[in-house]
Amino acid sequence: MRFLLRRLGFFVLTLWAALTLNFVIPRMMPGNPALAMMARFHGRVSGNVLAALEAEFGVNTKASLWDQYWQYLGNTLTGHLGVSTTYFPQPVTDVIRNGLPWTLGLVGITTVLAFVLGSLVGVVGGWRRGGKLDSILTPVFIVTSSVPYFWVGLMGILLFSVILSWLPSDFAYDNELVPELSWPFIANVLQHSILPAATILITSIGTWILTMRNNMVTVLAEDYVRMGRAKGLSSRRVMVDYAARNAMLPNLTGFAMSLGFVVSGAILVEYVFDYPGIGFMLLQAAENEDFALMQALFLLITVAVLLAVLAADVLTAVLDPRTRTQG
Amino acid sequence: MNRIRVLAVAAAVLALAAACSSSGTNTSTSSKVGGVLTISNESGGLWTCGFNPFNPSDTTLSIGTVYEPLVFVNALKSGATTPWLASKYQWAPDNRSLTFTIRDGVKWTDGQPMTADDVVFTFQLMKAHSALDLNAVWSVLTGVTKQGSNQVVMTFNGPAVPYFYYIADQVGIVPQHVWSKITGDPGAYVDASPVGTGPYTVSPCTPQNITYVRNPHYWQPGLPKIAKVLYPAYTSNDPANLDLATGKAQWGSQFIPDINSFYSSKSPDHHYWFPPLTNVSIFPNLKVAPLDDKVVRQAIAYGINRDQVSKVAEYGYEPPANQSGIVTPTYQSWLDQGQASTAGYTYNVAKAQSLLQGAGYTKGSDGIYVSPAGKRLSFSIINIGDYSDWVASVREVTNNLKAVGIELKAENLSSDDYDNRLYNGKFDLAYGAETGGPTPYYEFRQWLYSKNGAPIGQQASTNWERYSAPGTDQLLEQYGGTTDPKTQKQIMNQLQTVMLNDVPVIPVTEGVDWYQYNTQNISGWVTQNDPFAQPAAFAVPDIEVMLLHLQPK
Repeated sequence: MRFLLRRLGFFVLTLWAALTLNFVIPRMMPGNPALAMMARFHGRVSGNVLAALEAEFGVNTKASLWDQYWQYLGNTLTGHLGVSTTYFPQPVTDVIRNGLPWTLGLVGITTVLAFVLGSLVGVVGGWRRGGKLDSILTPVFIVTSSVPYFWVGLMGILLFSVILSWLPSDFAYDNELVPELSWPFIANVLQHSILPAATILITSIGTWILTMRNNMVTVLAEDYVRMGRAKGLSSRRVMVDYAARNAMLPNLTGFAMSLGFVVSGAILVEYVFDYPGIGFMLLQAAENEDFALMQALFLLITVAVLLAVLAADVLTAVLDPRTRTQG
Repeated sequence: MNRIRVLAVAAAVLALAAACSSSGTNTSTSSKVGGVLTISNESGGLWTCGFNPFNPSDTTLSIGTVYEPLVFVNALKSGATTPWLASKYQWAPDNRSLTFTIRDGVKWTDGQPMTADDVVFTFQLMKAHSALDLNAVWSVLTGVTKQGSNQVVMTFNGPAVPYFYYIADQVGIVPQHVWSKITGDPGAYVDASPVGTGPYTVSPCTPQNITYVRNPHYWQPGLPKIAKVLYPAYTSNDPANLDLATGKAQWGSQFIPDINSFYSSKSPDHHYWFPPLTNVSIFPNLKVAPLDDKVVRQAIAYGINRDQVSKVAEYGYEPPANQSGIVTPTYQSWLDQGQASTAGYTYNVAKAQSLLQGAGYTKGSDGIYVSPAGKRLSFSIINIGDYSDWVASVREVTNNLKAVGIELKAENLSSDDYDNRLYNGKFDLAYGAETGGPTPYYEFRQWLYSKNGAPIGQQASTNWERYSAPGTDQLLEQYGGTTDPKTQKQIMNQLQTVMLNDVPVIPVTEGVDWYQYNTQNISGWVTQNDPFAQPAAFAVPDIEVMLLHLQPK
């Protein structure tokens, strides 16, 4: 219990620090949202528009930073995240609601898949060290993990969209379709997600394989594993219950972190495939000095990461009795 | 909108990708009305699905297609006008009041008739909410009233001929019966299902794509002929360009690197045209010594090899500019050829140096000239770091001027840092471009009118170099008081004299509209021989004129 309370206290403190940084950092950037919007429309609107924009965004009629900070803390806690200046006049919550499901669907599922598949391959690879699986899959995926995301993505487009014309190269679904819960639409979405999902999978699975395999190798040398074998337990039981369960522990926190970061999207993947997710929005919010959108996205990421880490801590406590007694 | 802002690797790989592609797979149809057109214009973000014509992020998506102007003004034909929602317009003899006759028989998409009341309402709305007045037309307007049953009279605080473009062409007329019911700030009104008079209605819009469908009750009989227009939100250049190269999108409006091998060679139906409309220039800060000495500016103008900048840095897509400030060939008829030839400003290093020497500048031991007051001719030049072609241009200019004995130091900034310094006058030299207008006058006014400037530290809307000469102001105001083409031409000739003598701005290359089009299934495109509208998809309301000309094959 004390362990949990301490974790919770840590959670609140980190959240406050993150919220404060979240407020300060964007405001240290030069310029303001109106100027950024002008920059976005370079060559399309004249300088006169600046005055109109500043009036609309209320740029030069601001309260002091200190007042803004308290207002911001209050608004954040009560869920008032403000209006996006990039997507003016949409409220930030609407903007995020448009992008988040796509990102959660694509990046979330592929992250879980990468972790599960990677860990499985790692467990088996570590168990049968030097076997066929270990000597082929492990090096191949370690190589693919060190290749940049966007390059794999572009190669995928080149091969499967341009040369073979099997898969679409951009967007989350065909532009002539209307989003609805129907088979043709879902099938279309799945078809569009194959290339970006494969890209993420190929480039992220290697890390899980490598760490899992190495943990396995270390754990397999432990006495309790030898003891299990000596007792005549089945290989499967030793591999899964004795070795894998312990080897998994260090990976859990890493997995929790990466789950938390799912909400930040995969900027490069979304960029290359023109996927309407949230990663690109983050980049755009920063470019356009869209304080409200930036703050909301960072808040989302912070909270997601902190919650995921908290969950991993709890899970570790359940799986590993040692952490409980030490608390 | 974005220029060259792609990862070099990404561009190279996609170029390879397109090189291996086969041409589009669409089959042609022959019906009179039908077809689907996809526009590929990098948006830089997802759509908000708002169509408020007073919100600058929405204007390119709503004006023309949905909300229409009173009169269409064609920038590619020196401002030639076509009556639109107004069937006629007439300036009063003193050019201080303008009467529009509103067209009969035009209906809003909800079935109600469009009337003079709607026009008056639209302008009164802009008066009441200055944030809606994107071109500051109420800085010259004094009143907008209805006259008789179908006329609207606008009165001005002085002769206001150049404002015609902003009033008649750049304002989309909105329906009073819808917009008068909006509560709160109309600038923050989303307008998700817009009621307009235009040829298209929105149905549906998702953050990923806008679908425009044909308005069957459009007031121009039989138009539009294209049944459906898709406008996907391309968040970056590469997918947008790839879809153009594969034929998935037919109307492009952004930069494509190495366009001949990436795009044109893919199909005989792939075409492009880049009409120049404004200048990309060096703005010398006239409040910074020794840039306030016109000899230095003249030396810079002589010292730049514009042909080379165009060829090397702009792939030849953006033609070289000239010191007269008239964009050719688009506005050829406005160019005073005699003056331009006499004053020269062809690339001439020796001439640049002799000018400096004649004014008492001496060459230092490092090869850089020093002013009589002891200042080295070494200047920083601010530029937008994202525009790789502009960065390359400035690199060429820097090399050119080094040969003359003038040192430039490039500062490649983020867009908003750049804007901040540009507007506030915090630079020595700035590389940049104005938005221009339907005739060269607009760019000259943006450059040279002292009221567009501001003291250093305050925001100048367009006159960034802070030029101020009473004689020039007078010329610009005179032009505003005349509709006579002959007088206008005379004034423009005198303004070209100002450009050639004073060199307040140094044009280097000419900014173009990016425009690619696919003739496989659709015909009627703007071409160099028939420039009936500005061909970039982001040009409003020109997008409407283009859409009305297009037809399925």
